[in-house]
Amino acid sequence: MIDPVLLQQVINGLSLGAMYALLALGFTLVYGILELINFAHFNVFMVSSFVGMWALELLGISGQSHVLTGFALVGALAFAFAVTMLAAGVLGVAIERIALRPLRNVRGTAAMITTIGVSYILFNVILLTAGAGSQNFPNPMPVMRWDIGGATLQLREVLIWSITLLLMIALHLFVNRTRLGKAMRATAQDAEAARMMGIDVDRVVVIAFFLGSALAGAAALIFGLYYNFTSFIIGYTAGLRAFTAAVLGGIGSVTGAMVGGVLIGLIESLGGHFFATRWADVIIFSILILVLVFVPSGLFGRAAATRA
Amino acid sequence: MTVGETFTWLRRAGPIARVTPQTWQRIAIACLFGAAILFPIAHRNDGDIDAAANALTFAALALGLNIVVGLAGLLDLGYAAFFAIGAYTYGAAASWQITPDWSSFWEPFQWLGFVSRFHEAGGDVVHFHVSFWLMMPIAAALTAFFGVLFGFPTLRLKGDYLAIVTLGFGEIVPIIARNTPSVTNGAMGLNGVAAPQLFGWSFGVDATPYYYVGLALVAFLILTSQRLKFSRIGRAWMAIREDEVAAAAMGVNRTKMKLLAFATGAAFAGATGTLLVAKLQTATPEMFGFPVSVMILVMIVFGGIGSVWGVVVGALILQMLQSWFLQDLSGWLHALGRLTHVEWLQRIELASSIELIFGLILVFMMLYRRDGLIPATRRVAPLTIEEQVAAPTRGGFEGLEGLGAIDERREGPLLEIAGLTVRFGGLVALRSVSLSVPAHSVLAVIGPNGSGKSTLFNAVTGLVSADEGKIRFAGAEITGLPPHVVLERGIARTFQNLRLFPNLTVLENVLIGMHARLETGAVEALLRLPRTRREEHAAREHAMEILAVFGNRLVPRADHVVASLSYANRRRVEIARALASQPKLLLLDEPTAGMNPAETLELADQIKSLNRLGLSIVLIEHKLDVVVNLASQVIVLDHGEKIAEGSPAEVRRDDEVIRAYLGRSAALA
Amino acid sequence: MLQFRNVDTHYGDLHVLKAVDYRIEEGEIVCLLGGNASGKSTTMKTIMGVVLPSRGDVVFEGKSLTGVSIAERVRRGIAPVLEARRLFPRMTVYENLEMGAYIRSRGPEFDEDLQRVFALFPRVEERLKQLAGTLSGGEQQMVAIGRALMARPKLLCMDEPSMGLSPVFVEQVFDIIQTINRQGTTIFMVEQNANMALSIADRAYVLQTGQVVLSGAAGELRQNPMIREAYLGEMKVE
Repeated sequence: MIDPVLLQQVINGLSLGAMYALLALGFTLVYGILELINFAHFNVFMVSSFVGMWALELLGISGQSHVLTGFALVGALAFAFAVTMLAAGVLGVAIERIALRPLRNVRGTAAMITTIGVSYILFNVILLTAGAGSQNFPNPMPVMRWDIGGATLQLREVLIWSITLLLMIALHLFVNRTRLGKAMRATAQDAEAARMMGIDVDRVVVIAFFLGSALAGAAALIFGLYYNFTSFIIGYTAGLRAFTAAVLGGIGSVTGAMVGGVLIGLIESLGGHFFATRWADVIIFSILILVLVFVPSGLFGRAAATRA
Repeated sequence: MTVGETFTWLRRAGPIARVTPQTWQRIAIACLFGAAILFPIAHRNDGDIDAAANALTFAALALGLNIVVGLAGLLDLGYAAFFAIGAYTYGAAASWQITPDWSSFWEPFQWLGFVSRFHEAGGDVVHFHVSFWLMMPIAAALTAFFGVLFGFPTLRLKGDYLAIVTLGFGEIVPIIARNTPSVTNGAMGLNGVAAPQLFGWSFGVDATPYYYVGLALVAFLILTSQRLKFSRIGRAWMAIREDEVAAAAMGVNRTKMKLLAFATGAAFAGATGTLLVAKLQTATPEMFGFPVSVMILVMIVFGGIGSVWGVVVGALILQMLQSWFLQDLSGWLHALGRLTHVEWLQRIELASSIELIFGLILVFMMLYRRDGLIPATRRVAPLTIEEQVAAPTRGGFEGLEGLGAIDERREGPLLEIAGLTVRFGGLVALRSVSLSVPAHSVLAVIGPNGSGKSTLFNAVTGLVSADEGKIRFAGAEITGLPPHVVLERGIARTFQNLRLFPNLTVLENVLIGMHARLETGAVEALLRLPRTRREEHAAREHAMEILAVFGNRLVPRADHVVASLSYANRRRVEIARALASQPKLLLLDEPTAGMNPAETLELADQIKSLNRLGLSIVLIEHKLDVVVNLASQVIVLDHGEKIAEGSPAEVRRDDEVIRAYLGRSAALA
Repeated sequence: MLQFRNVDTHYGDLHVLKAVDYRIEEGEIVCLLGGNASGKSTTMKTIMGVVLPSRGDVVFEGKSLTGVSIAERVRRGIAPVLEARRLFPRMTVYENLEMGAYIRSRGPEFDEDLQRVFALFPRVEERLKQLAGTLSGGEQQMVAIGRALMARPKLLCMDEPSMGLSPVFVEQVFDIIQTINRQGTTIFMVEQNANMALSIADRAYVLQTGQVVLSGAAGELRQNPMIREAYLGEMKVE
């Protein structure tokens, strides 16, 4: 039988992985089309978690004591997800319109630097308004446990996995079965040819930003529900891991983002078992650097990271 | 007369008019430094002097990052890591942080004054107190070493990937600092860092001596930056920034130059780290995190990427903003809040929102003024009518001094290509192509679109690797050599789609062509020895001579940024740049593209003159009359294969050639 | 149907097309010939709207195309077959065809056009689920033409359809072009292979460094020795 502690770490790792996968997915969607590393993505994630928190508080749910079941629970969560994802999407689109579209044709790293600036702005706005402390995240989910081979599986984990799976399936269907989704893939593969088919590339970019940011919003709500807290720093902490996940899987590859996310989640969970947590960031950064230096295309990507 | 009129009259007439802009500049700089030196004496507020000293620290860091990002174009998002390394190096060498047990091993160091024996309860220990003045250059060197170590595997990555990797490095260093308390005392900060001592007098806590050291450091770094920027090294850096591939094709050793830029920037940060730690007498990991790296980036973007004075001004302004202005502004807002009874205005603390302001500045500058406050590119005087008009002239030119020894009447072919095959994935771009270029001849390569002509040039110059075959130049094999080595051997080229360095001037573009033939290194550039000045002067003269080959088309525009030139003139600049490298063999890829018939003939004559001087030339051309005029031999490529070879007259009549161009006939009528 | 009236185009300050006039009547096959760097591709891009004329006018079915977006031009009935095909490599053949019909609504017309493409290119129907990037050059060309036909264009603009194809495929492609024309589509074709192009075209223009140096009925031009000069860049122009 598998060691129960190890199994527990695997369960935790998969939950973390689901969240990182969603976050990495959103990031990679934009990169696939624009070849832009959007630093602001991870602070859109952070801002969305606050939105999620406020959405739940709006329903009257605060703290962990207010528990709902059945339809009330589903309704509350559906509302929270809808609001958070919508807000995140709108924020992402706003960033694209205001800060990035004017730089679309500027060669080099100008756009990326701008996303650093935007990221900074989001980070500090929240820091100044909500303060540096951790915020208690409302959680209406009842605590239900199942025993699996000695490890504990909670309702929240089941919820996270199902929601993530749902979103990934939805994304997959959108990208592969709808006209707009295919237009997105076409634009990512050859933007000029796509334009000649009559595809409005600007609109495709907006959709990519909306979807990508909405996924970040979903990940943010999941974060809050899982950890029962949020704070201004989570864009950095979770973002770093999601970013590494995207790079590990291959920036620009949807499959890569999903696989990379799960891998990083598992690495973090299992690694935390063996290494002290204070080294966690160093390990993640090292993975990032090593992948970029030695295998820049990651597991599934095609991008060439070096010059001629 | 009004004041304004007086001023204008004074400016135009009399002695003031005779003072050159350069002298004005020097006077302005002298006044600036004079004011800076007098500042602490005139204004005795220690808090303000302290703020000014901090500002100078960041100015020094901005100068360092400017070399990496502004000159060499390498986006470094983790620059603060170098700052940390410098700081902790001094910290380790001059504080109570590291105290190994005493042993006789330490006696010679005690004699040198680096350590002293300290009596503790448990036994005697070593106390490090290496002199600040000695540690500053040592820390700089050590940091530079780390720069090279880190840069070696990572500098070949492209722009945004490099940024990520440096960000990672920039984060790892403070985390390691936080988690190795034995060396750094972690988050609590280094223990008792020694203050610098000058002739027995210790600096203490007064900010003024640190201010002066900072001022001296900034002055030195400004001098270093300027000297490097306007030297062979600085030009090589900017070439890499503008177009790496073209830089390599013009002889710039990219790896070496990138590492040099990285190391220099790291050294600046290392030295500055030493100063900061000495001033604060402690160091904590928080001082070196991502926010600091971003802040320095914002400073150089704000001030003007690439501009030495720009980044200094940017750093000073933003630091002043942070330490003085924002607090005053908060005070005003509080008063305003009290006046209007608006609650949050009374509570607002702008100083703590400095990072938000930095973010806003960064986004604003990127969107609306990417050049920064003081842009690096200069404006030039408009041309006179005479300078603007240039009628095409026939007849070429007579001589070009310093074109270099073009192998006197060598035996055997200059360039030999045997069985060259180049594949790109599944596509065969060149299939077993062989040709031979006799010395001092002109060979033309023609063929329909996509026949592999440019690929041929790319393979010869090392931009593309050959899958099969051998290339020999002047008797030596050059297959697989990197582009800058091929240039050194004597093969220079132009590009079909023009690859100039767009933000550099005509003269700078040509001077970069000389990179491989000049010898000034970084140290010589810094010291500006007479030998260096002579070499620069001779280089500029030679460059102007080459420009003069094109009549008055380029000479009046020597200080114009290349992007502002007409298409035809840009083609000429690219040829001039190639000539500057004193090649034995010149590869011209569609040199007359975009020129009208008169200009085409003019250029053809100029090419003929070059050939008569001894230069061997291989030419890709579409205009057959040019080919007939110039070439002694013609090679025809089609679909990557050589389908014909011979004199121009023969080739023109060749059926295969005609079929290649016009296509195979249909089976139907 | 399509007219270029005194069109100039520039690339920066490089003068690419110089006072060019073309005329394409409905139902014709007109081809544009010329050597390298003659401005053929730029012509194609100007029709599609990727490049805008600096002077002059492009008129389609009596209405000027100035200020008309690329998507709108496709809607009005101009569809491109791009140089070197440029299929979407990681999308299936079917998806590529779908993209060709992007601006149209899905319905019975879509299915009709699909069937028409299958009838012309049985190979394409066989490979419907294959990723476009894995097809051979000739097969890709067929999909590219099919993709353009899915827009149900009145004018089909083809940019170097024979480029990179084996002689066997070249013949097939040119046969199909004639068939499409017979079915009612006007064809404007940029080609380097003058012989093949002139064998199926009604009329032709010859470009040299951005200027029209020869034009006329295909049959006459085929006999004209000056074509060779124009291709080899030798023709003298004022």
